[in-house]
Amino acid sequence: MSAVETLEEPVAESGKGYWSGVGARLMRDPLTLLCMSVILLLILSAVFAPWLGLADPYKGSMIARLKPIGTPGHILGTDEQGRDMLARLIYGGRLTLFIGLTPVVLAFFIGGTLGIVAGYAGGWVNTLIMRTVDVFFAFPSVLLAIAISGALGAGIVNSLVSLTIVFIPPLTRVAEAVTSGVRALDYIDAARASGANALTVIRVHVIGNVLSPIFVYATSLTSVCMILAAGLSFLGIGVRPPEPEWGLMLNTLRSAIYVNPWLSALPGLMIFITSLCLNLLSDGVRSAMNVRD
Amino acid sequence: MFSYFLRRVILMLPVAFGVSVICFMLVQIAPGDPLTAIMPVDATADEQAAMRAVYGLDKPLPVQYAIWIGNLAQGDMGRSIASGRPVAGEVFGAVNNSLLLAFSAAVIAFPIGIFLGFLAGYFRDSWIDRVVTAISIAGVSVPNYWLGIVLVIIFSVNLGWLPSMGAGPGGSQDWSWDWLHMRHLVLPAVTLAVVPIGIVARTVRALAGDLLTQDFVQALYAKGMSRGDVLRHVARNAAATALSVMGLQLGYLLGGSILIETVFNWPGSGFLLSNAIFQRDLPLLQGTILVLALFFVGMNLIVDVAQAAIDPRIKRS
Amino acid sequence: MRQFTKGFAALALAAGLAFAQGAAAQGTLRIGMTAADIPLTTGQTDQGGEGMRFMGYTVYDSLIEWDLTSADKPSVLIPGLASEWAVDAEDKTKWTFKLREGVTFHDGSPFTSEVVVWNLDKLLDETSEQYDSRQAAQGKSRIPAVASYTAVDEYTLEIVTKEPDATLPYQLAWILMSSKAQFEALGKDWEAFAATPSGTGPWKLETFVPRERAEMVPNTDYWDEARIPKLDKMVLIPLPEPNARAAALLSGQVDWIEAPAPDTIPAMTGNGFVISSNAYPHNWTWHLSRVDGSPWNDIRVRKAANLAIDREGMGALLGGLMVPAKGFLPPSSQWFGEPTFDVRYDPEEAKALLAEAGYSVENPLKVKALISPSGSGQMLPLPMNEYIQQSLAEVGIEVEFMVVEWNQMINLWRAGAADPAVEGSESINFTYFIQDPFTGLIRHLSCDLIAPNGTNWGHYCDPEMQALFEQIKTTFDPAEQDAVLRKTHEKFVNDALFLMVTHDVAPRALSPKVKGFVQAQNWYQNFSSITME
Repeated sequence: MSAVETLEEPVAESGKGYWSGVGARLMRDPLTLLCMSVILLLILSAVFAPWLGLADPYKGSMIARLKPIGTPGHILGTDEQGRDMLARLIYGGRLTLFIGLTPVVLAFFIGGTLGIVAGYAGGWVNTLIMRTVDVFFAFPSVLLAIAISGALGAGIVNSLVSLTIVFIPPLTRVAEAVTSGVRALDYIDAARASGANALTVIRVHVIGNVLSPIFVYATSLTSVCMILAAGLSFLGIGVRPPEPEWGLMLNTLRSAIYVNPWLSALPGLMIFITSLCLNLLSDGVRSAMNVRD
Repeated sequence: MFSYFLRRVILMLPVAFGVSVICFMLVQIAPGDPLTAIMPVDATADEQAAMRAVYGLDKPLPVQYAIWIGNLAQGDMGRSIASGRPVAGEVFGAVNNSLLLAFSAAVIAFPIGIFLGFLAGYFRDSWIDRVVTAISIAGVSVPNYWLGIVLVIIFSVNLGWLPSMGAGPGGSQDWSWDWLHMRHLVLPAVTLAVVPIGIVARTVRALAGDLLTQDFVQALYAKGMSRGDVLRHVARNAAATALSVMGLQLGYLLGGSILIETVFNWPGSGFLLSNAIFQRDLPLLQGTILVLALFFVGMNLIVDVAQAAIDPRIKRS
Repeated sequence: MRQFTKGFAALALAAGLAFAQGAAAQGTLRIGMTAADIPLTTGQTDQGGEGMRFMGYTVYDSLIEWDLTSADKPSVLIPGLASEWAVDAEDKTKWTFKLREGVTFHDGSPFTSEVVVWNLDKLLDETSEQYDSRQAAQGKSRIPAVASYTAVDEYTLEIVTKEPDATLPYQLAWILMSSKAQFEALGKDWEAFAATPSGTGPWKLETFVPRERAEMVPNTDYWDEARIPKLDKMVLIPLPEPNARAAALLSGQVDWIEAPAPDTIPAMTGNGFVISSNAYPHNWTWHLSRVDGSPWNDIRVRKAANLAIDREGMGALLGGLMVPAKGFLPPSSQWFGEPTFDVRYDPEEAKALLAEAGYSVENPLKVKALISPSGSGQMLPLPMNEYIQQSLAEVGIEVEFMVVEWNQMINLWRAGAADPAVEGSESINFTYFIQDPFTGLIRHLSCDLIAPNGTNWGHYCDPEMQALFEQIKTTFDPAEQDAVLRKTHEKFVNDALFLMVTHDVAPRALSPKVKGFVQAQNWYQNFSSITME
C-alpha cells in the first residue's frame, strides 16, 4: 500500500535525523549561538539570582540615591530609592522574562490545541473556534493587551492573563492553517480509513508535522511579548512597585533621566538587548528548522 | 469582485458584534468605581447613588448592554463620565489625531522599509543585506516608548530643535500643514515609524529575495528582458503580499500608538484610552476600544479586497 | 526612493528651521497642569484643588474668597461677591449677605441676589431647569449646612442653615457663581455654556480644546481693580505625566509647570528655572484606625510611631520640598496653637514608650497599613511609605502594606476602617486638603461622620473632641472661633491622633521670564499680578 510510504515520509522529517540536522545547522550559526548564550545567561542569572551574592534588590537608602554607574559597591549605580541597580536589573530579568515568555508558552499550548482541534475537526467546531478567534483578531495586539490589563488592573497575574489572551488568536490561526493543510493530505485520510481513532491520528501524524511551524511562529512572538509586557508596566498597568521589572524600572527612573541619563537608560537597554537576542534566535531557529513563513 | 466584497462585509458583521460584546464586557470586569474619579471625596452615599443613576450604572448588565448598543445604532456612544462630553466627539477627535500620527509614521516607514528590504533582497547575502537585516531586527526589537524618551531628551531638551509634546501651538483643533504644526509631529512619528520600518524591510526582503531566485525570473532573463523590466515584474508580484503587511501595520500603528502618545502627550486615541483607564471612565473606554477595533476590522477588509483586486488568485482561497 | 529623500529632506528641514520659531507672544503665560483634562468650565469645577485654582477662581468668583495676596501669612477669608455678612443675633441659623453692587458677568449681565439663588438651585434643587448633575456632584457636598436661601432684595441674600453653623462662610467659599443670563441666552444648555462660559472672575475663558488647552484673557472690567490681570493671555495645558511636564518646560513649550518631579528639579534650576514653593494647608499622614482591637488605640503606641520618624531625613527624597510635620496642620497655620506633645525624631523615647506598651524590636508590634502607589496630592507615596516602614521597624513596629490603586483607595477611604474591604488594615495613607475648619479638622474625627456616613475613616469618637467641634460651629466671632480651632488642633496633636509625617509645599517650576508671582499659603493662587518679561 502506498499509504505506508506516504506515512513514513513526512513523519521522518521531524524524526531523529531531522532534529540532529537542526542541531548541526544551529551549531554552524555563530550569531544564533551568541544570542542563545545571552538569553541562557539571562535566564540562569535570573534563576540563580539569590545565590549570586547580590545586594538586596528591595532595600534602599535615601542617602545613596541615584549613584552613577561605577560607584564602588554599586557597580551599576543605584536607582531612585537607592537600591542597587545591578541587583535590580538581574532580579528584574527574572520577572521581565517570566512575564515576557510565559504568555507565549501558555498561548502556544492553548492556541496550538485549539488550532489543531479546529483544523482537524473542521465543521462547526472549526467555525466556533475560528470565528471567536476572529473577534479577538479584530483588536490590534497592543490595544487588546492594554485594554484587558487596563480593565483588570495592575498585577503580575493580570498581565499574564491579558498577554496570554493576546497571543492565543495568532497561534490558533497558524495551528489551524497548518493542521488543515496536513489534514488534507492523502495519508491522513488513509490513516483514518484504516480505522485509527482521531486522537491517535492527531498524535502520530498531525502533531509531528504541525509542531515545528507553530513552534517557530511562537518563538517569533517572544520578543513582541516581552516588549509589550514591559510596556504595560511602563504604563503603570503591569507589574506593581516595588517589584523589580525592567518596564517598571524604566518608568520609575524616567524623571532621573535629567540627573543621571545613563543610569535611567539601563532598563531600556536590557529590554532592547533581550528582545534583539530573542528575535535573532527565532530567526536562527527558523532557518535551522527549514520553516518558511 | 462586488460579490466578493459583499461576502467579506457579511462575514465581518458577526465579528463586529463580537467586538462590541468584548468592548462592553471588558470594562465591566474592571474593579473600581468610575464615579470615584469625579466626585469630591466628601460626597455622601446618597449623592453617589444619584450620580450612578444619572449614568445608568444602577441597571443590570444586559440592560446596560442593550441600552448601549441601542444608542450606538443611533450613533450615540454615551457621555464620558469624567468629562461629561459626548464620547463620540471625544473619540473621533482623538482617532483623527491618531490617524494623522499613524499615517505620518507610515509615510516615513513604508518607503524606507520597502527601499531597504528591496536592497537587501536584491543583494541577498552581501554586506548590504547584512546591514539592512541588522537595521530591521534592531527596529523590531527596540522598545519604542523608551526610544521616544531618549529622542525627547536629545532633540527637545538638549538641542531644543523640536517640541516634546502636543499637536501644535494651538492644540489639535487648528491643525494645518505648515512647519509650525508639523514640527510637533516629527518626533512621535519618527519614533512610531521604527518598528514598521523593520517589519516592512524584513517582509520585502523575503519577498524580493524569493521572487528573484524563482524560476520564472530566470525565465524572464532568458527571454532577454532587461534588468529593469524584471525588477518591475518582481515588484508587481510582491505587491499583494506587501500591501497586506502594510495594511495590517497601519492598523497596528493606530492601536500601537498608545505608549508613544503617552510619552509625547499627543492628543490621540491612545492618550484618551490611558486617561480613560486610569479614571475608570467606562463609556469612554468602551467607545475608544470599539472605534479602534472597528477601524482595524475595516482596515483588514480593505486590505483583503485590495489584495484580491491585485491578485485574483487570492479571491478563490 | 523619491518619497524617501523627501522624508529625509523634511528631517533636514526640521534641523534648519528649528530656531525660526521663537518664544510665544509677549505677555502670554503657558501653564502645564497636572490634570489630564481641562477642568469643568461651567462654574463648579472638577479636578480637585487644581480645578478650583485654574478654572474656578480665575473665571468665577464666590461670595466669600480666600486672600491670596500674601506669601508670608496663612490666607484668611475676605469679602468676594458679598461685601459683608453676619449671622442673626437671635436666630443663629439665619445669615444675611450684602452683595457687591455694580458687578457684571463677562456677558454684561448684572450680578444680583436672584442670581445667587439661581446658582444655589443649580446645585441643590433637582427640579430647577438649571440643575446640573455634574456641578451638583462637585458642589453639593461642600455646603452641607445650607437649608434654604432667599433673595431679600436685589443686593441682599438670606441663607438659613440646618443648625447653627459658624463655618458657613468657609463652605460658601467653595461655591462659584455662573451667569444666569448667559445660560438662558444659550438655550438653557450647560453643554453650550461649557464652551462659552461666563462668570464674574478676573479672567475670561476665550477658547478651549478639551484635554489639550484652554486660553484665558483678562476681564478688564473686573470689580477689584487690583486684581485685573496684567498678562495678555494665560494658557492652561494638561500635562499629567511628570516627565512630559518637565520636558515641556525645559524645551520652552510652557513657562510654568505644577508639581515638578523632585529629580527633575536640579536640571531646571541648573538651566535658570525658578522653583517656587510655600507651605499650604495640605498634610500627609497615616489616618489611624480606632476600631476595637486596633493597636493604635494605645496612646503610647501612637506617640512612639510619631517619634520614630526622621522627617528631615525624608526630605532628601523629596529634594527638600516638604515641611516636616509638627502637628496635623502645618506649623504656619493660624490654628496650630501650642500643643504640648512635641512631634520630633526621638527613637529612644519611642522605644521606651513601646517597651511600656509591651513591644520591642525583638518582639515587634505588627500593624497593617493601607497605601497606594500614586494619587493626587500623595507626593511620592511608595518611597515615603517604605521609609516609614524602615523607621518604624527600628523602634519595634513591623508594618505590612496593603497596596491598592488610587481609585480603590478612595473607595476604601469612604468605606472606613471597619469595612471588610480594608482587610483589617489599621491605617490609611490618605493626604488631605485641610484649608478650612470642616475639611481641616471636623470631618476626620466627628462622631456623626463615622464612615461610611462621612469621612471619619478610623471610627474615632470622643466626647471631649465632639464638644470642641460643636464649639467651633457655634462660635460666630471669627477671633474666638480661631481660638477654639487652636484648642482643637492642640488636642489632635497632644493625643497623637494621626501619624503626622509631612506637608507638601506645592512646588512649581517657573521660567525666569515669569515675574510678579506671589505664592500664597493656599491651594488657590492669584495670577493677576504676573507679568512676562
